[in-house]
Amino acid sequence: MERDLVEYIAKNLVNHPDKVEIYTKRTRSAFIIKLHVMQGDMGRVIGKQGRVANAIRTLLKATDNDKKHNRVILEIN
Amino acid sequence: MQDSLEFTGETIDEAVAKGLKEMGVASSDVVVEVLEEPSRGVFGIGARPARVRLKLLRPPTPPRRNVLIEDAIDEDEDEEDEGDYHASLAKEISEPTEEGAVAQQVLTELLKRMNIRHFRVVVRRADIQENGENPPWILDITGKNVSHLIGRRGETLNALQYITRLITSKQIQRRANIVVDVDGYKAKRSERLEQLANRMADQAVRQNRTVYLEPMPPNERRIIHMTLRHRTDGETKSQGEGESRKVTIIPIQQ
Repeated sequence: MERDLVEYIAKNLVNHPDKVEIYTKRTRSAFIIKLHVMQGDMGRVIGKQGRVANAIRTLLKATDNDKKHNRVILEIN
Repeated sequence: MQDSLEFTGETIDEAVAKGLKEMGVASSDVVVEVLEEPSRGVFGIGARPARVRLKLLRPPTPPRRNVLIEDAIDEDEDEEDEGDYHASLAKEISEPTEEGAVAQQVLTELLKRMNIRHFRVVVRRADIQENGENPPWILDITGKNVSHLIGRRGETLNALQYITRLITSKQIQRRANIVVDVDGYKAKRSERLEQLANRMADQAVRQNRTVYLEPMPPNERRIIHMTLRHRTDGETKSQGEGESRKVTIIPIQQ
């Protein structure tokens, strides 16, 4: 679910949706989502002062998850 | 098939449900415009039904690759099937997509991926603005367990609106003029803020001292500023940064 959400948002904001890649990793304390986009698209998924990235994080927090991981971490690079 | 039809019912939800059934489409296939809110009347006199107009959308994006064929023809009314659209309609609808409809689609896609079940996004046009600007489309999320989508100080709601606006703007290639609301939260909140603004301004003038309001998000501060901008006995300013930015009301000596 969280992965789908990040993927949907990223692909609809960037100019090169085919270059969007997402990796996920589950650790004991968190669920980590790594988002990769083309260099030129970085600004679109981060936003001024990280506004877009923070909005995505806010939505991740409000996402109902069945597994109840402790927290979801979004990394963009 | 006509691409826009009107329906009535005792409640808005009922009218919408009737329309969807009659048109044989899912709620994500249409944009709902509320023409008239239902009114109970007095002792049944003057009661008016809810009136809505359902307008078919052009199917937005090709179906996701993992959609099973059975899903596309399944007319199950289960809300979880909201994302599927009637395949045969796909070719018939060629009307250009409009702001409100695209935004509704985007918001629906976001909410589904946030695992929100049993919700509906009702779209209507806001009233004409005082300042003559184009009225925005209001996308109101209604449903059983949607109140947590407001978040602390409307934080989640604002994030939803921001992302929905960004994606919609990109799709229509101009700035989307939309507001996202949850069960009329913002509408009610704005009424309360107007009352608060006037009350605190009166207090500032009466006591002849500056009044500091609670920290508020930008859209709420804006309501305070707008409410008080015609007053000649006081002025408003925002101070502080980020999360703790708040409005102050400063009395003006007459």
